Amino acid sequence: MANDALDELREFHWMADMLQSVDVGIVVLDREYKVQVWNGFMESHSGLLPSEVQQKCLFDLFNHIEEEWFAQKAKPVFELKTRAFMTWEQRPYLFKFPNYRPITGSEPFMYQNIALSPLRSTTGTVEFISMMIYDMTDIASGKKQLEALQVSESVAAERGTQP
Amino acid sequence: MFSVLVCDDSLVARKQVAKCLPQDWEVAVHFAKHGGEAIEALQQGKGQLLLLDLNMPVKDGYQTLEAIQQLGLPTKVVVISGDIQPEAHQRVTKLGAIDFIQKPVKADKLRDVLVKHDILKNYEATEEESLLDPEVRDCYQEITNIAMGQAGDHLARIMNVFVRLPIPNVNLIEVSELHMMLTDIEQHEQVTAVCQGFLGPGIRGEALCILSDSSFEDVAKILNIKQEVDDQIQLELLMDAASLLIGTCLAGLAEQMDVNFSQGHPVVLGQHRLITDIVNMNSINWRRTLAIELSYGLEGYNVQCDLILLFTEDSMSTMNKKLSHLLEDE
Repeated sequence: MANDALDELREFHWMADMLQSVDVGIVVLDREYKVQVWNGFMESHSGLLPSEVQQKCLFDLFNHIEEEWFAQKAKPVFELKTRAFMTWEQRPYLFKFPNYRPITGSEPFMYQNIALSPLRSTTGTVEFISMMIYDMTDIASGKKQLEALQVSESVAAERGTQP
Repeated sequence: MFSVLVCDDSLVARKQVAKCLPQDWEVAVHFAKHGGEAIEALQQGKGQLLLLDLNMPVKDGYQTLEAIQQLGLPTKVVVISGDIQPEAHQRVTKLGAIDFIQKPVKADKLRDVLVKHDILKNYEATEEESLLDPEVRDCYQEITNIAMGQAGDHLARIMNVFVRLPIPNVNLIEVSELHMMLTDIEQHEQVTAVCQGFLGPGIRGEALCILSDSSFEDVAKILNIKQEVDDQIQLELLMDAASLLIGTCLAGLAEQMDVNFSQGHPVVLGQHRLITDIVNMNSINWRRTLAIELSYGLEGYNVQCDLILLFTEDSMSTMNKKLSHLLEDE
């Protein structure tokens, strides 16, 4: 019995370790948008330690995130238990983090995809939501380069047809 | 295959009519230069539909219609003529023509007429019957209905609007038919679309959410956006609407099938594009798909939003198993 409990604890420990080290930002928020979980990715990119953000409101920590706008996104996650998504095409970033590759990266900041998911309690209610932050910088810069190329091509083609 | 006979003495007119046939309508097209040839072709069974001109040598349109009546040839006749006098219209109707289109014929008009007389639909229906067991279709329709009911309730609560619940349209469709379905939605409007993959055990699919560009102003109102609706905001609105619609609908389906779906990140398929471009873009590495089509309207608003859930063919066996308790006879 004691062994089972120990095993469970071990399992919990490496699970937590994995969440801590995975290369995706993980944040858990409560209904007042107070930070509950802040993993290693968030810590490294924001420079804020978990102890500095714990139980603090997201909007106090990051002034550039509009509360009303964010609440609109989060509302269905709390109320309807559906997921909500934001893409870099729609809003390049939620957290203004510097580029993951400070030397060879061409973009000044990290483009982000965000997914909000409900976290169900044992009773089925949703008191917390998780927020995943994905680094989309490479895809975004690739797409921007492609578009720039298309524009310069069509400009060149127009010039070519002019007498 | 359905066969169409185009009868006109002018080569240009014949070509033009043939070009106006719905593009993805797989039909055998035959031609006749005058009424005499037309009757011959009809007797050989070439022409379940006859598109008939009136002024022709040998046998004109009226004589051809008379001959068809006398011989009792099984064909539906749509007259395409430049003669727009009411008298002409009345006379051909009396002679058994089902409709009258003025020259020069336009693709939209022809399609409307074909749909109006169930010619296009009939053709689709007979194709589908062999593909999808009516009982299975009924079952999918029912679970979508239930999911929709829940989704509608959710949406109404979140957005404070009344949602006109669409009747889900369930079909097993081929690539060309998906194309046709989307062209129907289009109606010359520009649209913005996102797609999102979803995945459950043994079930794979993609949700396609299409919002017509004219809807954005009203969606902005509903979601309380006070800024000017520029491209950026539009994308955001679509993303929000798509998350809500896809999320609620999938949640309802998942619950009834007792599975969990994971959802990929939504991808913007195109902004302000003609829908045909959007589909052409992803040319096509599948043959057949189960499509559940939902067309949403919001009461009091000019919002047209289509949600299409596409499941891969191999997902169906899993889904049928999950739904077997509904399919069994009581």
